[in-house]
Amino acid sequence: MTTLLSIRDLAVRYRGDGLAALKGISLDVEAGERLAIIGESGSGKSTLALVIAGLLAWGAKIDGCIDWFLPTDADARGSKDRQASAINSSTPRLGRDIGFIFQDPSSSLDPVMPVGRQIAEVARAHLGIGWQDAFAIAKSLLERVRLPDPDAILRAYPHQLSGGQRQRVAIAAAIAAGPKLLIADEATSALDTIVQAEIVALIRRLVAEDGMTLLFISHDIALAATLADRIAVLRHGELIDLGETNQILDAPRHVYTRALLDAHLGLDAAPLLDRRGAQS
Amino acid sequence: MTVLAVSDLTKRYRRGGKPFAAVEAVSFEIGQAQTLALAGPSGSGKSTIARLVLRLLEPDAGRIEFEGADFLALSGAALRARRAKLQMVFQDPLAAFNPRATVARVLDDPLRIHGIASHTERPHRIAALLERVGLDAGLAQRAIHEISGGQRQRVAIARAIATRPSLIVLDEAVSALDVSVRGRILELLLDLQSQERIAYLFISHDLGVIRAVAHRVVILDAGRIVESGDARAVIADPQSAIGKALVAATPRLNRNRP
Repeated sequence: MTTLLSIRDLAVRYRGDGLAALKGISLDVEAGERLAIIGESGSGKSTLALVIAGLLAWGAKIDGCIDWFLPTDADARGSKDRQASAINSSTPRLGRDIGFIFQDPSSSLDPVMPVGRQIAEVARAHLGIGWQDAFAIAKSLLERVRLPDPDAILRAYPHQLSGGQRQRVAIAAAIAAGPKLLIADEATSALDTIVQAEIVALIRRLVAEDGMTLLFISHDIALAATLADRIAVLRHGELIDLGETNQILDAPRHVYTRALLDAHLGLDAAPLLDRRGAQS
Repeated sequence: MTVLAVSDLTKRYRRGGKPFAAVEAVSFEIGQAQTLALAGPSGSGKSTIARLVLRLLEPDAGRIEFEGADFLALSGAALRARRAKLQMVFQDPLAAFNPRATVARVLDDPLRIHGIASHTERPHRIAALLERVGLDAGLAQRAIHEISGGQRQRVAIARAIATRPSLIVLDEAVSALDVSVRGRILELLLDLQSQERIAYLFISHDLGVIRAVAHRVVILDAGRIVESGDARAVIADPQSAIGKALVAATPRLNRNRP
């Protein structure tokens, strides 16, 4: 497998509280893999997603480096020379090389622009094509994310769609320029269980069809396990566990990973009501 | 003993000029120290039922009997007095509190408003309530925005039990919590239930959580009850299409591996 990006000794500190949001993170993301980043509140999982996407707010202090190995347009085999410290953004471009799906699709969609135009804009900006071609791409993307009646949705505004439909539109926009890396940051957390499962299935299919690499950021280890090849566990800004999904589930190395697994309330676990003994 | 009996509860809205039923002919009962869960997808009517039961919304039809009395017939002082016995905990406690209030202030309100404790007694009651929900009494002087999400939800539970309710409506009360915190909050709710005989109307989209704590479950779809029964039995073998879909969509640790 080839490496898509290589993170070394990454540390992030937000101005203000001065606390380290991330410290000593070293991690290779392989091209084409589905890597889940798991953690609870304050673990740094969203900070990691944002720093990879180059979206971290001004004022955050970043140490360490993220090296990208993107196939260039001329040489699709990938560059051999390591472009150090890619945080200064010489290489990956958000939208073109990285697609980002947020938890709340309403915040990433313009409420007063028809959704077709929002998807077409991404294709037009990054692919150097005209509006007509961009709209054709937008329509085929709406079909690919399985929205009914793409012609009508092209002209619809975000508020006319359900939460699940909006997230499908946000996904269509995220992949409109054919990114190598798709980052989903709690992309299904605001959705109900049934819609969540549909969106996870959709992400799985799109990633497979387009050969994308996936970073799936989630607080839910069971959900992540349904999708990921590997799972990384973050806690208090540190990477404390990393392994193949089956290894993490069956033989977690870290006691915290085990605690997360034990805290999962599955449909096959003994109900708390029983563990407590007598309840009439 | 039945604490809450809801029959043929109906609430209709207009959407896009057309009437639609957010809740249609819903009936259920909850007994003392029992937990009834409401499950269903977004828009199935779970939260509308919660608001109707709390009388934050008035139904278009139906009956709500609470502690044997016609709850919908109450108004004014009688309604306020009865409301002390019917409490609520929501998903986001930060939205439920004045963020600048102290923990003590948040707990002082119900004790004062419902005349449960005198001015001099109240600090002791507040300390006892905090202890009851597993918090240090020293937390009383902290502001709501200064404490963690898990602590805040414990304060919300302390406020709910301050008036010794017979029923608490829990609307996605553990959905926003980290899993490690969630388990302890659920344990606390079960402790309070067995010790104080409180009934819960437990609303959640998460069947795993429901199965862990609920005695019975009602599954809703588009405002109607499509299935109900013993929580474990329904989740093990759902009969309705939406029940089957909910079970199938719930992530499992031991299956569906890539």
